[in-house]
Amino acid sequence: MANLIIEQVKKRYGSTEVLKGIDISIKAGEFLILVGPSGCGKSTLMNAIAGLDDVSEGRIMIADRDVTYADPKDRDIAMVFQSYALYPNMTVEENISFGLEMRKVPKEERDVEVKRVSEMLQIDHLLSRKPAHLSGGQRQRVAMGRALARRPQLYLFDEPLSNLDAKLRVEMRTEIKKLHQKLGTTIVYVTHDQIEAMTLADRIAVMKDGEVQQLGSPQEIYDNPANLFVAGFMGSPAMNFIPATVVSTDNGIMLELATKTPTLLPFPKKEALNAYLGKEILLGLRPEMITEPQHHKEGLEFVVKSQVNVEVTEPMGADTMVITRINDSEINCRCHPAYPAAPGSDIELMFDTSKAVAFDKNSGERIDA
Amino acid sequence: MTIKASSLESKATPAAQAKSFSLADFIPKLVMAPTIVVTIICMYGYMIWTAVLSMTNSRMLPSYDFVGLRQYERLFENDRWIVALTNLGIFGALFILICLFLGVMLAIFLDQKIRNEGAIRTIYLYPMAISFIVTGTAWKWLLNPTNGLEKMMVDWGFESFTFDWLVNPDKVVYCLVIAAVWQASGFVMALFLAGLRGVDGDLIKAANLDGANIFTTYRRIILPSLKPVFFSAVVILSHIAIKSFDLVAALTNGGPGYSSDLPANFMYAHTFTRSQIGLGSASAMVMLGCVLAILIPYLYSELRGERHD
Amino acid sequence: MTSANTMNSSSSRRQKTPLEHILRVALYICLLGMAAVYLMPFLVMFLTSLKDVEEIRSGTLLSLPGSLNFDAWGKAWGGACTGSSCNGIAPYFMNSFQIVIPAVLISTIIGALNGYVISMWKFKGSDIFFGALLIGCFIPFQVILLPMARTLGWLGIANTTTGLVFVHVVYGVAFTTLFFRNFYQGIPSDLIKAARLDGAGFFTIFRRIILPISTPIIVVTIIWQFTQIWNDFLFGVAFSGFDTQPVTVALNNLVNTSFGGKEYNVDMAAAILAALPTLLVYVLAGKYFVRGLTAGAVKG
Repeated sequence: MANLIIEQVKKRYGSTEVLKGIDISIKAGEFLILVGPSGCGKSTLMNAIAGLDDVSEGRIMIADRDVTYADPKDRDIAMVFQSYALYPNMTVEENISFGLEMRKVPKEERDVEVKRVSEMLQIDHLLSRKPAHLSGGQRQRVAMGRALARRPQLYLFDEPLSNLDAKLRVEMRTEIKKLHQKLGTTIVYVTHDQIEAMTLADRIAVMKDGEVQQLGSPQEIYDNPANLFVAGFMGSPAMNFIPATVVSTDNGIMLELATKTPTLLPFPKKEALNAYLGKEILLGLRPEMITEPQHHKEGLEFVVKSQVNVEVTEPMGADTMVITRINDSEINCRCHPAYPAAPGSDIELMFDTSKAVAFDKNSGERIDA
Repeated sequence: MTIKASSLESKATPAAQAKSFSLADFIPKLVMAPTIVVTIICMYGYMIWTAVLSMTNSRMLPSYDFVGLRQYERLFENDRWIVALTNLGIFGALFILICLFLGVMLAIFLDQKIRNEGAIRTIYLYPMAISFIVTGTAWKWLLNPTNGLEKMMVDWGFESFTFDWLVNPDKVVYCLVIAAVWQASGFVMALFLAGLRGVDGDLIKAANLDGANIFTTYRRIILPSLKPVFFSAVVILSHIAIKSFDLVAALTNGGPGYSSDLPANFMYAHTFTRSQIGLGSASAMVMLGCVLAILIPYLYSELRGERHD
Repeated sequence: MTSANTMNSSSSRRQKTPLEHILRVALYICLLGMAAVYLMPFLVMFLTSLKDVEEIRSGTLLSLPGSLNFDAWGKAWGGACTGSSCNGIAPYFMNSFQIVIPAVLISTIIGALNGYVISMWKFKGSDIFFGALLIGCFIPFQVILLPMARTLGWLGIANTTTGLVFVHVVYGVAFTTLFFRNFYQGIPSDLIKAARLDGAGFFTIFRRIILPISTPIIVVTIIWQFTQIWNDFLFGVAFSGFDTQPVTVALNNLVNTSFGGKEYNVDMAAAILAALPTLLVYVLAGKYFVRGLTAGAVKG
């Protein structure tokens, strides 16, 4: 396994810059996930790492070796594609062993590899089939098998699960996680599914407009998003952004919400708000932090109760999302299904700001970082 | 781990190799190179060469005494050329219109869940597999007044039936139309049938739900959506018409006199048998002009369409 | 199938009205009548080829021959006069094969490689070049006829089979490239990326991955090229010598130079013989022939 260092990588097509100086470095055995909306440059970056696209500037190193200008085949990389890209004219066995054959591995060794990989992925009964006669999930496994057989230094996964149906996707997600834990491979994995990102990654790089917005562990990204974009992109339903005014009270600096009767919320990092006294900021609060009143939280430092008007409810089984509106912003609150919340009625909710974050309304950057 | 080692180490130099001359980058270009060279020379180069010759007084051999546009003036003073061009107008217009009419009609008829559709389709289209020389030979026999259709009709009891178009200088061009339509209308049918089969089924269901009957559905929904097929067919048919050479050679050989000449036959006769290379080249350039006049708007709309996809 | 099926699905379940019955019958009469019209010329050719000269003179186009008489076929094949020689069209038939086979193979191979490059190994200018090549499908060959004649002379291959092969390859590549390019355009680029990561190079990918899935388009291209080149007359008449004429040129000579009494039976037999190879291909592989026609047309 190898580390990967990406230094100041830029990619221009004519005058448009699709990668604006990417810096990412991951350790051997680490699982990195690139997320971002479509057009953010994550696929371009992936192609650049694979050598399928030239970079305009910067450096890419795999296992401390500069491969910026190396041919794809000389980078010792394997890739699993969204479309699987299985060779339609070859059997599963030939698909898996093609890369080994190209590297002039003798037939006996290839057979051993194919056996090992196909058993690991439970596709050994499919070896003589052509891809056209496989189901989506089986194709996905073959695509992974093809990558695993070569035992490359680095694996690239380009949205490998997005063509599977929801149930299979969850299954394969777990499988990939198990494989990674078992083999300790270095993986770069592109997805636009933030649940995949959260569940699989050691670290996540959130990209937008050709730039890395934040690079960190899933929990860091979830709890401490660097800006509005990252906060809004990760998590489902998304984090609530509630316009709030910074006010000075007897208990120090508080945030005032424009609820029916104005609510004052405490904030963990008060000092950061000093500069914003009297101004409006965006308070970032995850839906699970706005709930029905809970006894065990009663009286805690950062917990406040307030009356809100229910607009819509969305029962999800385990929870019911209660949607309300504060200062013209839609707010998602995660309540217990048994909590009475009829649309149009006023109910009491509990705001827990112990993990709240604050953003500058104009720049979208974190204030309290 | 043993697997990767050997092949890699050799190429892996720690220092960054500049992306300079790797053979792999050149192979695609190298593969295309012969085609590129030959296309530039044998298509565009020759076009220019012919253009140059059309402005010289070349007769039996190419010469490079430039006479400006004199050959074009001569061309349009030449009665035989005017006849050829007029014939092309009549032939082209009728050929295209009749082919389109028959082709669309047959395609729609065949699209009605016809039993043995495959066999009928095969019959309509087989002339397209035949050389125009064979077509010409066959129709020359069918249309000849002494032993052909005329005689058959007379023998069948239509005593006054006359059909002498093949030897009538005013009508002979219609013989070309008949033979060419026989050959190419099945092709138009195939184009439209393919188009009809590609129409989105939901569109038709929607029309049915809106209360449209089968005629309205074809007229208002299906045929309008086949506009691109229509354009393709017109372009290809006019291209066939402009290039028509073999059909005339086999069916009428330009006769009687030169009454059934088309530009392609004029060009060939003057360039290769009548030692009028300059004049022949000028006529070839006019033919090219005709093709481009049809082709450029077509390609323009095609390419624009592709960008929208 | 979609349009017809959906349109008739509702009507087929309920009882047909008398009007619909009449329309249906009229439809079949019309279709079969047209089929007869399309078949007639070939039928007449065939009947005529079986008659002797006297029967032709006395009978009509569609009157049946008195007996099955294949004399005209024999003469057309081995004894009829075409211009100066009287060996029938057999030698020219062979000439056509000698021109067609290499020309089809070479132009197909070049077209496959070109299409592969244009759709999967794009380089700067490759798209522009493809556009330039596309126009080549449409130019009237009259504009290149004379310069090509001069070039063949310089190359020392004027009036030879080699020369004709060369010409057919040069002007056939535009079409073959178009066919392959359009086909390869539908192959996902990920396949090439995967193969490159697997360590395969330009030719290995072509041979191991692309060619094995190209069978349909290879068949279409070969049939298209075969038909085009076999049926060619213009290049044949302009660039061939007396003993290298393709069969179309020989047929035209045969029909136009029968001295004395016209032997229509021989003409017709020769015409059928000249049409036979392409007709055979059409009958055996009509599906691919049609696909070539429409592919060349719709995206031309």
